[in-house]
Amino acid sequence: MSQRIEQLPTRPRGVSQWALAWRRLKKNKTAIAGLAIVGAFVVMAAFDRLVALYPPKCIVGLSPACPSPDFISNGPPSLSHPFGTDITGYDVYSEIVYGTRAAFLIGLGATGLAILIAVTIGLVAGYFGNWIDNLLMRVTEVFLVIPFFLLLLVFLQVTLKFAPASTGGLWIVVFVIGAFSWPGAARIIRGEILKVREFEFIAASRQIGASSSRILFRHLFPNVLHIIIVLLTLQIATSILTEAAVSFLGFGAPGSNTWGQQMYTSANFIAQAWWATLFPALFVTIMVMGFNLLGNGLRDALDPRLRE
Amino acid sequence: MSSDPILRVHGLKTYFYTFAGVVKAVDGIDLQVKKGETVGFVGESGSGKTVTAQSIMRIVPTPGKTIGGTIEFEGRDLLALTESEMQHIRGKEIAYIPQDPTTTLDPVYSVGKQLTEVIMRHQPGSKKYALAKAVELLHSVGIADPEIRINQYPHELSGGTKQRIAIARALSCDPSVILADEPTTALDVTIQAQILELLKDLKQKFNVAMVFITHDMGIVADTCDRVTVLYAGQVCETGTTEQVFENPKHPYTEALLSSVPSLALKKEKLSVIPGNVPNLIQPPSGCRFHPRCSYAKQVCIDKDPELESIGDGRLVHCHRWKELDLKSAVAS
Repeated sequence: MSQRIEQLPTRPRGVSQWALAWRRLKKNKTAIAGLAIVGAFVVMAAFDRLVALYPPKCIVGLSPACPSPDFISNGPPSLSHPFGTDITGYDVYSEIVYGTRAAFLIGLGATGLAILIAVTIGLVAGYFGNWIDNLLMRVTEVFLVIPFFLLLLVFLQVTLKFAPASTGGLWIVVFVIGAFSWPGAARIIRGEILKVREFEFIAASRQIGASSSRILFRHLFPNVLHIIIVLLTLQIATSILTEAAVSFLGFGAPGSNTWGQQMYTSANFIAQAWWATLFPALFVTIMVMGFNLLGNGLRDALDPRLRE
Repeated sequence: MSSDPILRVHGLKTYFYTFAGVVKAVDGIDLQVKKGETVGFVGESGSGKTVTAQSIMRIVPTPGKTIGGTIEFEGRDLLALTESEMQHIRGKEIAYIPQDPTTTLDPVYSVGKQLTEVIMRHQPGSKKYALAKAVELLHSVGIADPEIRINQYPHELSGGTKQRIAIARALSCDPSVILADEPTTALDVTIQAQILELLKDLKQKFNVAMVFITHDMGIVADTCDRVTVLYAGQVCETGTTEQVFENPKHPYTEALLSSVPSLALKKEKLSVIPGNVPNLIQPPSGCRFHPRCSYAKQVCIDKDPELESIGDGRLVHCHRWKELDLKSAVAS
């Protein structure tokens, strides 16, 4: 036996499902485009000071950090201000760059919470079945039936009233969006668990004496992980879009610098300065598109039915 | 061979509580397995073969429930054990070889990972040792290049190789009993023969008792020491393979044997057993086989026969076994 230990080679390794999925993803041009867009935004958020032209909240012509012969409110796009300036005199391009972090915070934060709830409910309901499944799915349906957006607006208005804007108003928005956008994902995950649960290898792991928790976390979870990844990617896009809509309607966190907030402040002056509204909207669109392309590509790459 | 049975099932009843009614899938089955022996478990689809195996391992899927009988394994009553005690029996003392090898391996883990999972679970030790043992096992089930296979994933392997791995997994903790649930049904004929040979070899090598579930009388003749014939969740008869094949005592066994294609006997048409497996929600009165039995009499309709011991360790579940002179279509 000791001889055999020495013989254990490090190569050739088998090709896992993940390696296969990556190979398929690489071939998909639109998915790679999505990945590139998301990657560009990650760089933009990480090095926002370098990418931006001016420091944050810098009023052109008034703040010493952005010198200019005179104060330019609603200035049109020019060489020194590629996307123009807004009503306050901020450089639109720089403010958009500083808004990227907020976009990621919303996208990842709200989605993280939503998927966490969805995975927990989906796994438990799908695996244990019976009355647990019944109870959890009825609760999920209640969340699906209520008009999500309206409730979101009411909830935000109420919570933001009680929470001072200075102490992380944006986090409240993130929390509320996350807390209301899990039901669809929960149902999909539960459905997938119901399917995987019936596979022979789950019975096989019971036959070798595996415990319930082991089956749940070591066999069921990895086998639905591909669905979770796709849901996660697409949910990020949806969350960003939801926050933009909420903020644009004036229900966002006051004082936060998100693209939705920028659109909200500039929309009143759209006749004088269309650029201050258009460019943040454009960036929301590009980012959402990036995540959607990536999500669709991941779904194609990870879907076992599309395997050659 | 004459030692005490290692596994003794008596009067096992497993019912499924469905919306349509109670399905009596297993209704009083007796089974005895001695150390190192292979027992064939024969019956058509729906006769309760698999459910019996699942009941022994206590993994009957819902809404099934074992509601009667005893399962004694090495002197312990399996039905009285707690779930966590049972988890130490499954895979370690009693192993299971499933029917369809293509889906029994988890697609997200490599072969080595799946084998070491069992070994580490029941024989805690170093990962390196478990891996070495896994390679050793793959070698013993006749897999070429086990060092390469161990790092591969199920989708990279053929059906025959997967079944060999499933067998390796069943053997990994030196179980005393293996329940092989139609291990060759999903494979093509040449691979079937290889797997059967392998199982016979391994049985010798590991001295493990085996319950061989099948509907193929040919496989039984080839591999089993004793046979239990099932019909509609009940035992028809039990005996050594020779006894049952040469001198069947139950009309169902006779009919089953005459429906086996044979090269020696020139027959125009293969005989079939008329009718279908009965509905187990409302099984036929009396003897469950009577609607399809060509020897049935009034007593068979009125009364369920006893499972009688007729000497030589044989059991028969028929009113008329004494009077009938049944012929075996395959007796040499």
